[in-house]
Amino acid sequence: METELCLSLDAENRSEYENFEDEEEIKLFLNETKRRNKCSEIEKFLETDFTEDPDYLNKLRSFSLSEGGLVNDKIRKQVWPKLLGIRPENLEPYPSEIEFESHVEFSQVVLDVNRSIKRFPPGIPYNQRLAMQDQLIRLILRVIMKHPQLQYYQGYHDVAITFLLVVGENMAFHIMEKLSTVHLKHFMEATMEKTAELLDYIFPLMEHVHPELCSYIEKGEVGSMFCLPWFLTWYSHTLNKYENVVRLYDYFLASEPLIPLYLVPVIVIYRQDAIFAVECEMSSLHQELSQLPDNLPFDRLLKEARDLYNKYPPQDIEKEAIMRRVKLKALQEEQINRKNYSNKTTNRSPSRRNWTFMQRIVPDWFFPYGRLGLLIFSASFIVGLYAYYRYANNCDGFNQ
Amino acid sequence: MMSNIINNSSLQSNESFDFIFKIVLIGDCSTGKSCIVERFRNGTYNEPQPATVGVDFSIKTVCMHGKTIKLQIWDTAGMERFRTVTQSYYRSANGVIIVYDTTKRATFLNVQKWIDEARRNTGSNVLLFLVGTKCDLEDEREVELSEAEEMRDYIPEIMFVLETSAKENKNIDDVFFCLAEELKKKHDQMAILENAEEDRPVNISESKPISQCALICD
Repeated sequence: METELCLSLDAENRSEYENFEDEEEIKLFLNETKRRNKCSEIEKFLETDFTEDPDYLNKLRSFSLSEGGLVNDKIRKQVWPKLLGIRPENLEPYPSEIEFESHVEFSQVVLDVNRSIKRFPPGIPYNQRLAMQDQLIRLILRVIMKHPQLQYYQGYHDVAITFLLVVGENMAFHIMEKLSTVHLKHFMEATMEKTAELLDYIFPLMEHVHPELCSYIEKGEVGSMFCLPWFLTWYSHTLNKYENVVRLYDYFLASEPLIPLYLVPVIVIYRQDAIFAVECEMSSLHQELSQLPDNLPFDRLLKEARDLYNKYPPQDIEKEAIMRRVKLKALQEEQINRKNYSNKTTNRSPSRRNWTFMQRIVPDWFFPYGRLGLLIFSASFIVGLYAYYRYANNCDGFNQ
Repeated sequence: MMSNIINNSSLQSNESFDFIFKIVLIGDCSTGKSCIVERFRNGTYNEPQPATVGVDFSIKTVCMHGKTIKLQIWDTAGMERFRTVTQSYYRSANGVIIVYDTTKRATFLNVQKWIDEARRNTGSNVLLFLVGTKCDLEDEREVELSEAEEMRDYIPEIMFVLETSAKENKNIDDVFFCLAEELKKKHDQMAILENAEEDRPVNISESKPISQCALICD
């Protein structure tokens, strides 16, 4: 990558480059140059009129997917709606204040939005932040009012705030509306069951790429809940750095809806050393797996997620996930049965203890018949006793 | 219950501890579950805490009567929609802290619902604590301590009631220390019972009157 960068540098930059002493500084400079070049390339492209021509959209997508994504928020503001095919002139009727406040989810949304201060840029003036929080509440409620089948979930506000910060209230509403009916629709169903099923895809995916890591995590019985906030909020709930969040959003908006899910196993595999270092036990594993360090090489990981998607598309993985679920359920049932059986046999009441003693000394073939076996056993014992008695009596007779 | 208490010997952890207990916090949204955990774990108070999505995990080791006790704390999302996915995290809990907000009556009225939830998804030996939060906001109080105590007397599963303030660091440590103490007591009791079961004493009620007597004559 760096050789490619060096080649692309012109003579003027090269002389500048020689002035640097620190390697880190050179890297930063190269990145900055590359960023600037990409920025002017996209801006130039955006000067042409927007059409829904596939080539035009493909070009926008390739900008979003390639290294560095859409570079800055000024470009994002223009490109994000286009990636979803949203026309800026779409205008919607605006509900009244009373309509907002009487909505069943109103207080829940207010609670969550009021607690989302961490997601606003640091240093934002207090009044401006309050105004934006009001906008956020309204835009969320507008979507769920327009689509009553969609249920709000905690974390939805983390997605909405990202769009509010970049494209403003009205366009954020259109984007959220589109995403809620496509990308986020399973999260907004009445229950989270489908979401939990989707999360289970990570295990067959990990097994294909790194079976040892997969069995280590499965052995710890940690489940997939560690990545629930990643998936539900497109990582924005967990990531600390704003630039990482928007970079991921560039990629996800230009991709298939399940790409955020495919990124999970890629991140886990990338962090395998840290994961293998913790003991194979649920809580330790959960704690380690749920970490999302700021310095992850997202460009590289996103590309790997895309390769994984192409190699193991969702329709194949779904079947594998179902098979695994069936197997796991059978295994759990077997464990429960075994536990119940051992509870029965180790029951400490004295009669039971005698019974297990009997089992040890009496041949097995008696027991499949249960009480019948016992009957046959006692009958043959009595017959034997009678025969002995007769024999003993007869002997006495002879002696006499 | 016994199987949930993992003794030190069965874990290859670097830190040594004598007991490990799993504690789950449940309760309505925004009652202050995450603030309690934050205060107990780090000794800090950050307002406001972002909404919990799914379940958060943290760990804290405490010392008590010369024993090291490791507390695994699972902080769950209050939102009803997450319950289907968080239920599996209660299953092996040793202690459950049901949290209500003393300044919001509705959260107290929902306590019964959370008790049912705990009953359904945990073992019969689990210890239930009822914790009221934000007791520093005396002017906004909507639930009296006496009401919570009445509830404790009425519902046998609830072992303890405590009002707390994460902001003023009031009673936060006490909640976890009390719970740890009770769990340890329970563990010791269970151990005694188990041992007693092994060397079973003679049970008088099981004896039978003697109807026949054999005489030994030379």
